[in-house]
Amino acid sequence: MLTYARNIRDTVMTTLKGMQITLRNLRRPETTVQYPEEQCEIKPGYRGFHTLDQEICILCFQCAKICPVDCIEMAATRVEKKFLSWEQFTVDYNKCLFCDLCVEVCPVDCIHMDRKTGPSQYAVITDDRTTLNIDLLIYRGLSETGVKAVDKLRADKAAAAAKPAPAPAAPPSAPAAPRTTEGA
Amino acid sequence: MASTVETDLSRPPDTYVDVRTQELQINMGPQHPSTHGVLRVALWVDGEIVTRAEPDIGYLHRCAEKIGESVTHVQYVPYTDRYDYLAAMNNNLGYCLAVERLAELEIPEKAQYLRVIMSELNRIASHLMSVGTYGIDIGAFTAFFYAFREREEILRLLEWICGARLTYNYIRIGGVMRDAPQGWVEDVQRFLDWFEPRMDEFNQLLTHNHIFVERTSNIGVITVEQAHDYALSGPNLRGSGVRWDLRRDQPYLLYDRFEFDIPVGTGIKGTVGDCWDRYWVRILEIGESARIVRQALAQMPKEGEVMAKGVRHLAFKPKAGEAYTAVENPRGELGYYLISEGGQISYRSRIRAPSFCNLSILEALLPGTMLGDSVAIIGSIDIVLGEVDR
Amino acid sequence: MTMTLASAGSIESAVAASAAGSGFWLTTLLGLVLLLGFVALWPMFAIWLERKVAADFQSRMGPMYCGGFHGWLQSLADGIKLAMKEDLIPRDSDRFLFWIAPAVAFFGVFAAFIALPIAEGWQIADVDLGLLFILAISSIGTLGIVMAGWSSNNKWSLYGAMREAAQLVSYEIPLSIALLSPLLVVGSLRLGDIVAFQSAADGKSLIYWSGNGWFALYSPWTLLAGVIYYISSLAECKRAPFDLPEAESELVAGFHTEYSGLRFSFFFLEEYAMMFIVSAIGVLVFLGGWQPLPWISIDFAALGFLGKLVCVGVVLFKAVFLVWVQIWLRWTLPRLRIDQVMVTGYKYLTPLSFLALVMTSLCVHCGDRVIPTLF
Repeated sequence: MLTYARNIRDTVMTTLKGMQITLRNLRRPETTVQYPEEQCEIKPGYRGFHTLDQEICILCFQCAKICPVDCIEMAATRVEKKFLSWEQFTVDYNKCLFCDLCVEVCPVDCIHMDRKTGPSQYAVITDDRTTLNIDLLIYRGLSETGVKAVDKLRADKAAAAAKPAPAPAAPPSAPAAPRTTEGA
Repeated sequence: MASTVETDLSRPPDTYVDVRTQELQINMGPQHPSTHGVLRVALWVDGEIVTRAEPDIGYLHRCAEKIGESVTHVQYVPYTDRYDYLAAMNNNLGYCLAVERLAELEIPEKAQYLRVIMSELNRIASHLMSVGTYGIDIGAFTAFFYAFREREEILRLLEWICGARLTYNYIRIGGVMRDAPQGWVEDVQRFLDWFEPRMDEFNQLLTHNHIFVERTSNIGVITVEQAHDYALSGPNLRGSGVRWDLRRDQPYLLYDRFEFDIPVGTGIKGTVGDCWDRYWVRILEIGESARIVRQALAQMPKEGEVMAKGVRHLAFKPKAGEAYTAVENPRGELGYYLISEGGQISYRSRIRAPSFCNLSILEALLPGTMLGDSVAIIGSIDIVLGEVDR
Repeated sequence: MTMTLASAGSIESAVAASAAGSGFWLTTLLGLVLLLGFVALWPMFAIWLERKVAADFQSRMGPMYCGGFHGWLQSLADGIKLAMKEDLIPRDSDRFLFWIAPAVAFFGVFAAFIALPIAEGWQIADVDLGLLFILAISSIGTLGIVMAGWSSNNKWSLYGAMREAAQLVSYEIPLSIALLSPLLVVGSLRLGDIVAFQSAADGKSLIYWSGNGWFALYSPWTLLAGVIYYISSLAECKRAPFDLPEAESELVAGFHTEYSGLRFSFFFLEEYAMMFIVSAIGVLVFLGGWQPLPWISIDFAALGFLGKLVCVGVVLFKAVFLVWVQIWLRWTLPRLRIDQVMVTGYKYLTPLSFLALVMTSLCVHCGDRVIPTLF
């Protein structure tokens, strides 16, 4: 009989207590953020999509090697043994783990993970997986300074080649022929 | 004269018409709201009473241990996040400790403090998720939202420090990835002050609710012998009264510098080792983890290195040998067993997942309970299928 | 016997009325059309209310976009979506039962609205046995639900159906016994009489003091009966903490797992219409019906058509309040297991309702209200 009454009392009291708590939360403001009209604050250091500082990259392939899922592919040709003519730098976001290892390992600090949003405004919904294979390049080929430098280099080379042949070998005591700027 | 069935004595007796009941074989299938992942439990049910239960796993198998044999140690750390995805920091930690033991690396002190803080914050988040979803299994939907509202704050803090909310890759071989940014420590303290009254409210809503107590007490009692036989660990073991916690009994990192209790189940509401006890151990552990975080924040040096010297990402090679390290995951003892031949890629990386061992007890626990109870029991074991199937 | 006499009486009056050309059929038809509109629109409002109230309890916003202001058209959008879905029938299901189950479930509740008065004299059928009729007809819904669970050819649905059959049938007992307590005091099953008793008019003035008051405040035994009625009505509506038949986390969706599209929307309509019916009965019997205040009663008959509209408003407001409390309870409490449901029904609610009945009958016999002075 006592447990009977105690059960009734426990049920009623804990139910009322629970209802009081939900009522209290009724009066609290909501914690929802109405995306996309409002946005949550994203602190710096957020690991979002990648951005590549193309000018600085030296094509060392370290980020592609460290990637656990091999999602970075890059290709460029070296022009005049120094300048990079970019063809491709894609990150396959179908595979990317957002693990930040590529950023850590980069020796010249040219790749970052801080782009907050993706290619489309709210979401990427697609059947075509190539949509998520995103090219990070801003320009293809040589950069502007690269173009100027290569042109200057080639002009110098052409000028050096168009010059008449240097003087025949002087006696051994004569100074050596001046070195060309080629092959630097 | 009450029988309306003609008994023809020329026919053999087993062809008499009779009321026959049959066991129903029912699949608590891979798609079910309460199996905490893709778990199939094949149940043989007589009315509402379960007579036999067979867990069937493998639906989330991702060849994790085989991948460990084809990527380097540094590359494997992001994979470890994804096993117990609710407590990713602890997974990272276990693997890194195993590799560091093989490589005999010395971890800087600030990195160790940060590791402790991250592990404990993740433990709070994982336990909040566990008790919230347990509320849903029992039918209280609002408690889940309150638990997640609190968990959201923790995830925001973790996102601030390492940039990701669920799969952190923060604890790396040799230390941690980044130092805490300006203002982070104060924000964590503010969070803890805000959070502790909310836990009292949550307890009043769900934990002490008479209907919840009636649903979970005296159900799924695990005795100490059963716990030892099935190699249980974590809150499942502590719920049965065994005061065993790796943070205190096999201390790693800096846990011997902190003061914290180990809550065990005492059978307040029913029997020792019932579902309510395991749930209550998790609630109390949240409080204990908050205590550890406060102490760690107070003791952490303001300045310091966060990564050991000499860990080169693309050329990291531990020494040849074997190492087994166990850490206290929110679900139990998470162990990593590494065999290295001195190369960049390990020969074998084996994961001792706590949920895998905890799950095996369902076979013994479920028979004899009602169908509604089986949901309560599965929820109280708190499994994560990512860990079970790897 | 009484049933046939009553129905004969109403048919007689109907025949007499039509013979006299007093527009009986016209008013009935108008009432039926209004009722159909109400039963179609009420679930839309109730679902929106439930989603918003649940969201407010859970620190979030509910629907916000659809229709602009707090998503008030969300239910309409959902209804249109449900109507446009593919009509799936499981392969080995019992097609006939699968087809009529939602209809039977809905019919049981829809027919109960016919005897429900929302103002004095404003009901579609003035049945002398109003309360009994409503209770009896709404039990037909149980049959529809068992049919749904069986015909789905799905073991989990069958569980939902079996649990539901046990639960609904068991809770009819405390429901009906609890309603007997006010009935004993009033002495009539007609709902209009019950409301009139709670506001016993002296016919002299517009606003007057009624010694009877609402049944919830009349005597502690009728208050107990009211609480038991409310709890039993939660079980009848399959609402938490008794929502086992559609226990979302155990049985996915219980008996209506295999239903989709318009068939599913019938079950939804049935659930919310049932919530309104039991709340309306609770309002009429225990909360004074269309009288706004407990002891201060207003003579609405003298106020004409406008007065009747105020009556409707009062009844709707109180019924929506009771529905809101049902929603509040659903989102606070966990679910009871089936054997606990049975224990609560048979071991706790039924004896208490009998206690209320016995004490009320003793009180009526002695002419007292609270404590019967037998000697």
